[in-house]
Amino acid sequence: MSGVVLDGVSKRYGAVTVIDRLSLTIAAGEFVVFLGPSGCGKSTLLRMIAGLETVDGGEIRIGARRVDHLAPGARGVAMVFQQYALYPHMSVRENMAFGLRNAHVPADEIDRRVAAAADALEIMPLLDRKSTQLSGGQQQRVAIARAIVKQPDLFLLDEPLSNLDAALRMRTRLEIAQLHQRLGTTMIFVTHDQVEAMTLADRIVVLNQGGIEQVGSPMDIYLTPRTEFVASFVGSPKINLLPVTVEAAGEMTRVRLANGAIIDTAVAAADLPAGAMTLGLRPECIRPAALDGAPLAARVQVVERLGERTLLHVVLDDGTPIVAEDSGLSAVRPGDRIGLAVQPERAHLFDADGLGHHPAQRG
Amino acid sequence: MRFGRTHPVALTLIVIAAVLMMVPLFWVLALSFKANAALMADTNSVFSLPYTLANYRTLFGDGQVFRWIMNSLIVSLGMTAGVLILSSLAGYGFARLDFPGRSVLFVIVLLGLAVPEQAVIIARHQMLSLVSMHNTYGALILPGLSAPFGVFLMTQYFRAIPRDIDEAALLDGASRFKIFWKVLLPLTIPAQATLGIFTFLSAWNDYWWPLISATNKQMFTLTVGIASTQMNFAQTEGLGFLMAQAVLAGLPILIVYLFFQKYIVQAVAGAAGR
Amino acid sequence: MASLTPRRRRATDWTNALFVLPYLIVFVAMIVVPLAWGMWLSTTKSDLFGTEGFVGLTNFVRLFGDPIFLQTVWNTFYFVLLTVPLLAVLGLALALVLNRQARWAAVLRTIFFASTVLSVTVVTLVWRLVFLPDSGLLSVVTRALGGTPIAFLNDETLAMPAIAITTIWWCIGLPMVLFLAALQQVPRALYEAAALDNASRWRTLTRITLPAIRRTFALVIIIEVILQFQLFGQPQLMTLGGPNNATRPIVLFIYETGWRQWELGYASAAAQVLFAMILIAAMVQYWLSSRREAR
Repeated sequence: MSGVVLDGVSKRYGAVTVIDRLSLTIAAGEFVVFLGPSGCGKSTLLRMIAGLETVDGGEIRIGARRVDHLAPGARGVAMVFQQYALYPHMSVRENMAFGLRNAHVPADEIDRRVAAAADALEIMPLLDRKSTQLSGGQQQRVAIARAIVKQPDLFLLDEPLSNLDAALRMRTRLEIAQLHQRLGTTMIFVTHDQVEAMTLADRIVVLNQGGIEQVGSPMDIYLTPRTEFVASFVGSPKINLLPVTVEAAGEMTRVRLANGAIIDTAVAAADLPAGAMTLGLRPECIRPAALDGAPLAARVQVVERLGERTLLHVVLDDGTPIVAEDSGLSAVRPGDRIGLAVQPERAHLFDADGLGHHPAQRG
Repeated sequence: MRFGRTHPVALTLIVIAAVLMMVPLFWVLALSFKANAALMADTNSVFSLPYTLANYRTLFGDGQVFRWIMNSLIVSLGMTAGVLILSSLAGYGFARLDFPGRSVLFVIVLLGLAVPEQAVIIARHQMLSLVSMHNTYGALILPGLSAPFGVFLMTQYFRAIPRDIDEAALLDGASRFKIFWKVLLPLTIPAQATLGIFTFLSAWNDYWWPLISATNKQMFTLTVGIASTQMNFAQTEGLGFLMAQAVLAGLPILIVYLFFQKYIVQAVAGAAGR
Repeated sequence: MASLTPRRRRATDWTNALFVLPYLIVFVAMIVVPLAWGMWLSTTKSDLFGTEGFVGLTNFVRLFGDPIFLQTVWNTFYFVLLTVPLLAVLGLALALVLNRQARWAAVLRTIFFASTVLSVTVVTLVWRLVFLPDSGLLSVVTRALGGTPIAFLNDETLAMPAIAITTIWWCIGLPMVLFLAALQQVPRALYEAAALDNASRWRTLTRITLPAIRRTFALVIIIEVILQFQLFGQPQLMTLGGPNNATRPIVLFIYETGWRQWELGYASAAAQVLFAMILIAAMVQYWLSSRREAR
């Protein structure tokens, strides 16, 4: 079990810099998720750690060992690919044993490890099948088993769930979490799916345009997004972002929307920079309220019933769309005119540079 | 036209055409079972008894035909093996490895597809004369190894294999040659079959090059051998004998065709449609 | 997104070229060098014993004043004209009728492709026996019908058509399978839509099937033109180019000039002319197939 240190690593393709002097320290045994949109460099970063991409600058260390000059096979890492990359002509057993044979592990040791991994992933009955005869879900398990038998210092998983159907994805997600708990090995998991990131990670690394936006625990990322980008990338449905001006007020910030409505927040006024701001409100902190006395009035357009909660797609008087949330048994109907109440302690403000300002965290 | 019944007129016409396609072959087959003397007297005797195996007896007794068949086998198998090895190595190199001048070289090889045999055959003949290689298996095989089609086919095929597979093997600590040999090459077996069958068939049926390179009767391939007896049509041992020879030369390849029809059709169509 | 990521390998490596080297050596030795050598030969006066010297374009000038060569050029075009349209049309007709799952269609496809796998020497042997003046199959049939047998291969006007028939019999399999492959690419939904639109069999053929395989038709024509330009074995074995040069094609001219008269320079010049003709056809093919990909 080893930690990973990225020290100022860069990657360029010709004139285009895809990773720019990125530094990150991952503790031994940690489960880290690289989260970001397509093209943010998360897969490239993972492949640089694996040795599948060259490093144009900086250092990569796994444990105490500097690895950026080593061949992929010599780095002590195992990878699960998005398309699984099983060797099509080999049986499941041969797939799992291939890497061990290359490392000259004794045959009885190979058998023992293959059996143990197959047992753990419940693929014992598949061992002598060709990998092309397996379903997608089975291939996925074999790919994970193939990584486990190598007993690597570090697991790399490149969007391993994206080719599974919804039900299987949830089940496998859970299994990966259990696997990590059992093995305790350091894992780096790349995804663009914020739900996977939130549920699996000890720490999430949000990447954007080749750099780190924010590193933190899932709840850190959710409750105190460092930037507007992080706030809008994490959370579903997406956070409502409304342009506002800051009103002179007391200790806490009071803002005015474009249509004149006033909203109180729990963001300390003292450390706010001057200028235009963006108000960030997650749907779950905007609730329907009696029209009289509510800070906002809106007309309901679409009511989405999800069972345990209800999403209300509404528009303000000036046409600004907002998503609000109500309980599962909401009585609101499309066309209704309703008031909206905002939880001040869940309101976020983003300044002109996109940096976030949040209410002081309790506890 | 894909569903619905076939028009009766179309069906009748195509069956007649199929019969016409086969009549010459059956004619040759029937003649090969008639005594030469009987045919000399009247070809119509082919429609009546007696039939004889005498022509085949003469043919097998001679032994020369077997020598030619052996030569054809050696040349065709040698060329097939050579083409498969060279094309696989080059295809992997062009598809997966990086080296200076790779794309330029690949384009030049592709341009080679447009060079017909006629444009190079005279110089090839002279070159091999200079090194006194004619009337050897080497001379019969060597020119066929240069056909760019195999390299083109294998490069395309290697390119179609997902790179993830190489990378997984790289992470499994496999060397470059091991990735080629143990991981990728087994995945190209369908392409190897197509290319192998196509090469074998072209080599077996090739006429012009063996005609000019092999001038010694002992080095004739089957096609050239059959041509040589055919040339002096009048003086041969007779029609029946010639026909027995045609049957011996044609039947094996037709039988092979019946067994590997799918691959052969695929190979021939693939080579033409490149 | 992984597929969009540009990939780079470790610093370029000369040893990687070792994989392509064996083929490249053969390629250079058997294609590049002979091609250049042949071009050079065509500008020299050369024979069996060596090269007498550079003569510039003399060989080419002589070619275009040589009535036999001009006749072979005409013969080659005439042969292409006789065979290629028929091969394309018959191949298409066969493919249209045989493009179905039924067992009988599979059997007929096997029959029509079978002759393709035979060598030219077997094909000519078979067909000489058909065309033989006294005892050939055609004579037997003609006589049975009460007619007088014709010596096709000895007749100046009939010899080339006889060779064309032989060639069509030999080569019909390739256009058929190329058309079959193209027909299989036409989306089934198109036919289902046409059936729902009450289109007749004829309208379905002319409005859906034929437009869908237009490009294949052009490719088949080009492929066959290139193949039939290279006519050699059939006349060499059936007629020796006769009677009176009526069936002598360019390749046979090259062969006889080169290996009968040993005028290698002159033969090379003729080969360059043929090469140029084939190259033009190949360029048309490339243009057609790249246009198909662009769509």
